[in-house]
Amino acid sequence: MSQFFEYLKMAVSNIKANKVRSFLTMLGIIIGIGSVILIMSLGNGIQGVISGELEGIASGQIVLYTYDSTGTYYITNDDIDAIVEEVDGIMAVNVYQGFEGSTVTRKGEFSVNGSGQMASYQYFSNTGLLKGRYFNEKEYLAGTPVCLIGEADAIRLFGSTDVIGMTIDMTPNWGNSVSFTIVGVEKEPENSMFGGGYDNTPVSLYFPMTVLTQIYGWEMDDYYQIYLMAEKDADTASITTQVVSLLERRHQCFGENIYQYESFNDIMSNINTVLNAVTMVISLVAAISLIVGGIGVMNIMLVSVTERTREIGIRKALGAKTGSIMMQFLSESAIITMIGGLIGILFGIGGASLAAKIISMVSPEMAFTPSVDIITVLATTMFSSAIGLFFGIYPAKKAAKLSPIEALRRN
Amino acid sequence: METLIEVKNLMKIYNPGENEVRALNDVSLTIMRGEFVAIIGQSGSGKSTFMNMLGCLDIPTSGSYFLNGKDVAGLSDDELSDIRNKEIGFIFQGFNLIPNLTALENVELPLIYRNVPAAKRHELSVASLTRVGLEHRMDHKPSEMSGGQQQRVAIARALAAAPPVILADEPTGNLDSASSKEIMQILRELYEEGRTVILITHDNKIAASAKRVIRVIDGKIVSDTNYGDGKSIEEIAKQIEEEGDKQAYV
Ligand SMILES: Nc1ncnc2c1ncn2[C@@H]1O[C@H](COP(=O)(O)OP(=O)(O)OP(=O)(O)O)[C@@H](O)[C@H]1O
Ligand SMILES: [Mg+2]
Repeated sequence: MSQFFEYLKMAVSNIKANKVRSFLTMLGIIIGIGSVILIMSLGNGIQGVISGELEGIASGQIVLYTYDSTGTYYITNDDIDAIVEEVDGIMAVNVYQGFEGSTVTRKGEFSVNGSGQMASYQYFSNTGLLKGRYFNEKEYLAGTPVCLIGEADAIRLFGSTDVIGMTIDMTPNWGNSVSFTIVGVEKEPENSMFGGGYDNTPVSLYFPMTVLTQIYGWEMDDYYQIYLMAEKDADTASITTQVVSLLERRHQCFGENIYQYESFNDIMSNINTVLNAVTMVISLVAAISLIVGGIGVMNIMLVSVTERTREIGIRKALGAKTGSIMMQFLSESAIITMIGGLIGILFGIGGASLAAKIISMVSPEMAFTPSVDIITVLATTMFSSAIGLFFGIYPAKKAAKLSPIEALRRN
Repeated sequence: METLIEVKNLMKIYNPGENEVRALNDVSLTIMRGEFVAIIGQSGSGKSTFMNMLGCLDIPTSGSYFLNGKDVAGLSDDELSDIRNKEIGFIFQGFNLIPNLTALENVELPLIYRNVPAAKRHELSVASLTRVGLEHRMDHKPSEMSGGQQQRVAIARALAAAPPVILADEPTGNLDSASSKEIMQILRELYEEGRTVILITHDNKIAASAKRVIRVIDGKIVSDTNYGDGKSIEEIAKQIEEEGDKQAYV
């Protein structure tokens, strides 16, 4: 073991003596490892953005909608009551009705996207509250004009998140004005692609849907889209079929595929399928380039063994054992691929941040931070040395097996 | 004195078959520990071939070789490496220095394979290079040194690990007479320290430093004379000369 350091020293000095050749040998490894790291850190960044987006949609959520424009098959409040009563495993049902309008604060005039929700909104809002509370059933039933606002929007409107109890005078594009009292501030989703705060996007408000009666002058009763929240660990697939068949029975449209749905689990598995496919393709490309790189290392090591036959002969004559020569050449190939791997990691990280920078410059709303964890870096470094060890075995064996006298005779 | 080397009916045949060369032809010989032996003979007579056998670098075609009472034929490659490393200091005819290592690094090689710790290794190597007068050329590569200096690096390498046996193939082959004298002085000192020195040369005057002279012609030992400690170098040289003339007439 004390000799191990000596072999490393020999290997390093020989790599130094052949800088250009060693670098060219590393190229395959640099490209292979570099692309692995590049893709991984881009992938991590993008995944962060996607899961940030999906934070708005809690797991277990099912979106149910109808393809009907006549109104016959719209989902009514009675339908919703029936669903809650008859289908097991449903925690909450929600609908939402939006309207657009504007408001003026001392910070200026803002366009507003109002979003009327049921009292079950709290189960669907996944980011959680920063301050205050959600509106309750009583306020929903009474049509009390209270609202929730996002953290970033609160800052835009009032320059602070200490806005509980403040009022927002809302002028809808159509209908009567309403004065909303803020009861809660919601946290921003992390990494949101469309997270509030961009200057020209409308401010979002969430309030009891019954307030719309005041604005429009009539009561909301039919919806083309509703949201179901399954209880934890409930079987969303079976819940969905139950709900669909219940609605089909109530609207007498069995098997006509009028009610469609999408669940979070479906969306997630779609995204995962795509991500896995991309990962597979990239891994395959990287694996091929690593194998090609490894063969390149083997090739150069064979050339090196041939060139240094005499040196090997001298070493053996002076007492080097088979293992010593083996170790010397194996360290050399492992160090070459390890350095290649390290350079590749640097290139991969550099490339990923460059790509992220360009993307954020071209379209700021798509901005993301690429990231690689230290485990990946360590594993990749180990893996690249392993390639060197593997592809170095044959040349090293060839060197170690040379007979000293044969090797000494060669020039 | 104990027996160091015992060779019986040793044969080395290159290219067996049509173009065969009997580089060693039925050689039998015994060398004791602590002897100073010169093997002399003309170019192509088989001296280097013999040295390769004695140094466990090559395997004879037939015959037996006992080193320290052990049959070399029964040893594995790694055991042979060990013997070369611990027992023998080689001075090769063609120096055999590694070109991209400095003089010091070349001298350190056998010590590395002997697991000598770095500091001790450095100390021994510097001492050895100093002994051959190269303390000011330690960081030079072989290509930056004269033939004589390279020869001395090779000698320093053989001495550094203080092996009990020195095998020197034409150690003065590339040196002027002054340097030759210095080298021969070192070899004599090694002999006086109790080491076994086997010197290969075609030069009778050089061979005269030894106490026993073995003459090889065409792979055969034709004479083996022990001059003992009593005679001076000049006397021995004269006798070798006469012996050589006698052989020439046979
Ligand atoms: N590898 C080899 N293949 C074939 N023949 C060889 C080989 N090595 C040596 N010989 C032959 O064996 C004979 C002895 O060679 P060797 O090198 O032992 O001579 P030498 O006495 O050392 O000569 P010199 O004084 O010139 O060094 C020579 O005739 C040579 O041509
Ligand atoms: Mg010779």
